Amino acid sequence: MGKRTIIPFGPQHPVLPEPVHLDLVIEDEKVIEAIPSIGFIHRGLEKLVEKKEYTEMVYVIERICGICSFGHGWGYCSTVEGMMGIEVPERADYLRTVWNEMGRIHSHLLWLGLLADGFGFESLFMHCWRLRETVLDLFEETTGGRVIFSVCKVGGIRKDIDPATLKKIVEKLNGIKKELRDVLGVFIDDSSVKSRLCGLGVLTKTDAEGLCAVGPVARASGIVQDMRLAGQGKYLDLGFEPIVETDGDCYARCKVRVREVFQSIELIEKAVERMPEGGDIAVEVKGNVDGEFINRMEQPRGEAVYYAKGQGTKFLERMRVRTPTDANIPAMVKILQGCEIADVPMIVLTIDPCISCTER
Amino acid sequence: MAVLKIGKVVLKSLFKKPATLMYPIVPREWQERTRGHIEINVEDCILCGICSKKCPSNAITVDKGKRTWMIERMKCIQCGSCYENCPKKCLVMRPEYTAPDVSKTVDTFDIPAAEKKTAGSTAGGGAPGCNAETCIYCGICAKQCPCNAITVDRKEKTWKVDAEICIGCGVCVEKCPKGSLVIK
Repeated sequence: MGKRTIIPFGPQHPVLPEPVHLDLVIEDEKVIEAIPSIGFIHRGLEKLVEKKEYTEMVYVIERICGICSFGHGWGYCSTVEGMMGIEVPERADYLRTVWNEMGRIHSHLLWLGLLADGFGFESLFMHCWRLRETVLDLFEETTGGRVIFSVCKVGGIRKDIDPATLKKIVEKLNGIKKELRDVLGVFIDDSSVKSRLCGLGVLTKTDAEGLCAVGPVARASGIVQDMRLAGQGKYLDLGFEPIVETDGDCYARCKVRVREVFQSIELIEKAVERMPEGGDIAVEVKGNVDGEFINRMEQPRGEAVYYAKGQGTKFLERMRVRTPTDANIPAMVKILQGCEIADVPMIVLTIDPCISCTER
Repeated sequence: MAVLKIGKVVLKSLFKKPATLMYPIVPREWQERTRGHIEINVEDCILCGICSKKCPSNAITVDKGKRTWMIERMKCIQCGSCYENCPKKCLVMRPEYTAPDVSKTVDTFDIPAAEKKTAGSTAGGGAPGCNAETCIYCGICAKQCPCNAITVDRKEKTWKVDAEICIGCGVCVEKCPKGSLVIK
C-alpha cells in the first residue's frame, strides 16, 4: 500500500470550462476518494425573485446557464403558469419544443467538442463547434440571440416563427445531418477515441439509481428516464423513445449524446409538421402570483426541478432550481473512486458539468 | 476498428472556405431580429420611468429633475423588456452590438423640455381630464394606462384619475375612441 496524498484538482484546470474543485485522495496513481467543493461562482440569482417582478424574472432565470438557457426560461415560465393556472396556446407550446430541441443539439455539440478537446483531438473539437454554428445562426435568426434567447415569457412566447423560416430550420438541420454523421461517427468508430473512453468510469445501474443520477448519465447506465415524456410541452404528442445504453462507461455516455443529436433533429421535423398554422402565441397574464408549484423539466444535461412560491404580490417569495449537474455530482464522485489519476478529467467531463447552473 | 476516421472530414475541409469570419475586415451580417443595443428617440420620451422599473438588470436610470435618460451599456442584457413596456414606444432595439470598450460606458441622453406633442393632447405632464358629455365609459383608457391610474365604472358612469399615480404619458388620450380626454 502506497502513501496517501491529496492532490487538488481545479478550480482552474485546462479541462474545466467552469470552476469546480476536487480534492483527490490518491494512493500511488489510484484515486481512493474525491471530495468536491463548489461555490466559486455563486451569483444569488434565486434571491433576485424578491426584487424583480415575476414577469421580468424570466430574463434573469434564463441566465442561470448559457447553454440550456431556453430550457431554464421555459422551466420558470411553466412553473409560474402552473401556479396561476394559465394554459399556453398550442402553437407556443410547439415553438417552445422546437427551440428546446435546438438547444439540446447545440448543448450536445458543445459538449462533444469539449470532450474531443479533453482527450486532445483538436480537429474533431473544431469540427463539432463548426457544426454547432449552424444551430446558433438559426437561433439568432429566430430569437435575436445566439445563446441567450429571451423569447419565453409567462403566458407564451414573444416572437413567432413564420412558416418559411420553420421550413428553413428543418432544411438546414437536414443539410448538416450528413456532415454530423461523418463528424460524430468519429466518436463512435474511431479506434483512438474508443481506447480512451471504453470501460472508463463505469456507473452501474444500481449505483445510478441509488445516487439519483439524471439525464444522459442515467440513460447511459440503462435507466429509462426522460422527463420530456412526463408531459412537458408537446413531446407526448410527438412520441419518441428515450435513448438508452447499458454499459455505463464514458463511451456509453458519449454515445447517448451523439444519438440524441439525431433524435432532436427528428423531433424538430415532427414538431414543424404538426404545428398548427397561425393562432395566438401568448395569452395575456394579469394578476399576482399566489400558491406553490413544483415542476420537473428535461434539460440537455438531465432533469431539472423548479419550485416557486408566491405570496399574492407581483414578486415570488421563493424560487428554487435543482439543476442536473447538482444531481450528477454524487454519481461523479462515486465513479471517480478507484480510477487512475490520468482518467479524472475524462470522467469529470462525461457528466457534462455545468457549474454556473449548479451554483446559480 | 477504424483508424483515422476523421481523415475524410479533414480532407474535405481542405478544399472549403474557412468557417470563420475574418473579423473585423469582413463585417458581421446582422439578422433582422438580432438584439444588439437599445436606442432612444429623445423627442418622444416623457420620462415616465417605466423602462427603468422594468429593467431586470437596473441598467436604465431616468432623472426627471435633470431631464436625462441614462443607460449603462455593460449592465444592459438586451432582453427587450424596456421597449416592450414603453408606453410611447420611443425605445428601439437595433441589431448592431455596441463597439468593444475599455471602460464601462454610460450613455446619457438629454430629453428636450419643449412641449411634447403627445398625439391628441395639448401639453404633456399633468393628469388627464375627461369631458363627461362625450365620454362613453368604455374603459379603454383604464385598460391602456401603464400605471393603472384611471378607474372607470360603466354602471355608475364615473371616471376617476389618481393624479398622484398618473405620469402624464398621454397614452389614454391617444387611445380614447371619442377624443374625450385632454391632458391639462
